[in-house]
Amino acid sequence: MRRPLSIMRASPSEGWIELLYRVVGEGTALLSRKARGEQVNLIGPIGVPFRIDESRTLPLLIGGGVGVPPMVFLADAMRQSHKQLEPLVLMGSETPFPFRARPSQIMVSGIPGDVIAAMPLLEDWGIASRLASQQGYAGCHEGYVTDLARLWLEGLDGDALGKVSIFACGPEPMLAAVARLARDHDLPCQVSLEEYMACGVGGCAGCAVPIRTAEGVAMKRVCVDGPVFPAEAVFPG
Amino acid sequence: MTSDVIEQNAAGRGSATGADDALKIDFCGMAFATPLVLLSGCVGFGDEYTRIEGFTHASVGAVCLKGTTGSARLGNRPHRVAETPMGMLNAIGLQNPGARYVVDHILPGLDFTSTRFIANVSGSTVEEYREVTQIFDDSPIDAIEINISCPNVKEGGVAFGNDPDMSARVVEACRGATKKPIITKLSPNQTDIAHNARRCIEAGTDGFAVINTLMGMAIDAETRRTIIGNNQGGLSGPAIKPVALLKVHQVYQVAKAHNIPIIGQGGVTNAEDALEFLIAGASAVGVGTALFYDPLVCDEINRGVSAYLTRHGFNNVSELTGTLTLNG
Repeated sequence: MRRPLSIMRASPSEGWIELLYRVVGEGTALLSRKARGEQVNLIGPIGVPFRIDESRTLPLLIGGGVGVPPMVFLADAMRQSHKQLEPLVLMGSETPFPFRARPSQIMVSGIPGDVIAAMPLLEDWGIASRLASQQGYAGCHEGYVTDLARLWLEGLDGDALGKVSIFACGPEPMLAAVARLARDHDLPCQVSLEEYMACGVGGCAGCAVPIRTAEGVAMKRVCVDGPVFPAEAVFPG
Repeated sequence: MTSDVIEQNAAGRGSATGADDALKIDFCGMAFATPLVLLSGCVGFGDEYTRIEGFTHASVGAVCLKGTTGSARLGNRPHRVAETPMGMLNAIGLQNPGARYVVDHILPGLDFTSTRFIANVSGSTVEEYREVTQIFDDSPIDAIEINISCPNVKEGGVAFGNDPDMSARVVEACRGATKKPIITKLSPNQTDIAHNARRCIEAGTDGFAVINTLMGMAIDAETRRTIIGNNQGGLSGPAIKPVALLKVHQVYQVAKAHNIPIIGQGGVTNAEDALEFLIAGASAVGVGTALFYDPLVCDEINRGVSAYLTRHGFNNVSELTGTLTLNG
């Protein structure tokens, strides 16, 4: 079966996409052994993307583990097409981050002074990022990425808080915590979900998850109806 | 909207096949452009795969729509699918919007000139099967496939299809509700599939689909939990092909005398698989799980079957059906 992978970067004009993945099983092991010039077969892009509200100029992007690459993609899209936005990207991982973190040159108020590790790619784009982990990595916030997000949100004044919207991708417990955070601060929040998939085009309903709609609970397909859903539809209070 | 058009790396592939006369068959009075049938549950309600660039219904003789019940069903909790060695388990739980909705809102959007569309009728009671069949009878649908593998809620939850008497009652009820061709999808999860087939023929079925999935389970040893939300699911894919070939052969022994054609299905991924099913006794061949890793696989199968027919001097694919030689 095919595996759903998120795209980290793409250039429609140059015709390439960049995937960031960790080798966890046979499929990703095979992918990692592909040599330059070899072909891979893929179906995509599939699904509904994040919707960006330009009036909310302080987007907070939260990525955990496998949810890191799509947050880089989203930050890149904001950088290129929504220049008035000032995104902050927070990433969490309990295995070593797939890049060499470096001390950030971009100051972010509300973030503890010793939390300085940033993703170089985002740093080069002029986008603020910070990292969190419980593994004691240098410069990272020691704890959950959602705790770091809460610290930042609590440092904002009412006016700034009104400009925040949250975008998140990662393991379900993290997304549930993000949804709580959004609810506590009355912020719009979208989450991108993962589920086992078979067809990837909406034909098999194998990836359907319960989503709250105005008409009650519906089973929505992560592949074509998602993967992005409103947080409150996935995690009702 | 970019996500509506999905590009598929189709290097080295031609466009859709289907114009080859040697592949054309008659199945229960329906003209099939090729002997291939897209299986119920794999291709939604007929529209979903058209998102894939290069995909066309003209490659297949018929498309079986998703299992449909009397009223809408939400289906099972996640996970609904899991990969297993040479196959996969699924337990979707018949998520569907109900027969009335399908007839009123989905069928009008389908292009009935591109292929034959077959409804898949499911139910929890004999009465529900009859009611759903009746709703489809008054619609442009080309034929009715009866999914008799659903649990009978009134009689202990045993699947109708596992018991010849219950199978026959379902077929009989559907037969009374439609003049359209009825194809009964037989379950491999029973002792004597040939006996069940005989009873279904007596009850009025026009054709068979052999086989439905085999029930199975996947376990995560780390968490000591089942992977599938429904705990058990139906196994499909190449893992079940040998079982399916035997069942087609067994049903054919009963069905051939009555001119009841069979859609042979279970793990078909290439032309050779399709040919094996035809030789075992199938008149048409179902493709399901293979679509998940190659949505354009039907074009490749058609080409391979055509080449075989030429190589072996057959004028039409129907000449292959049941040509199996058993060891004395």
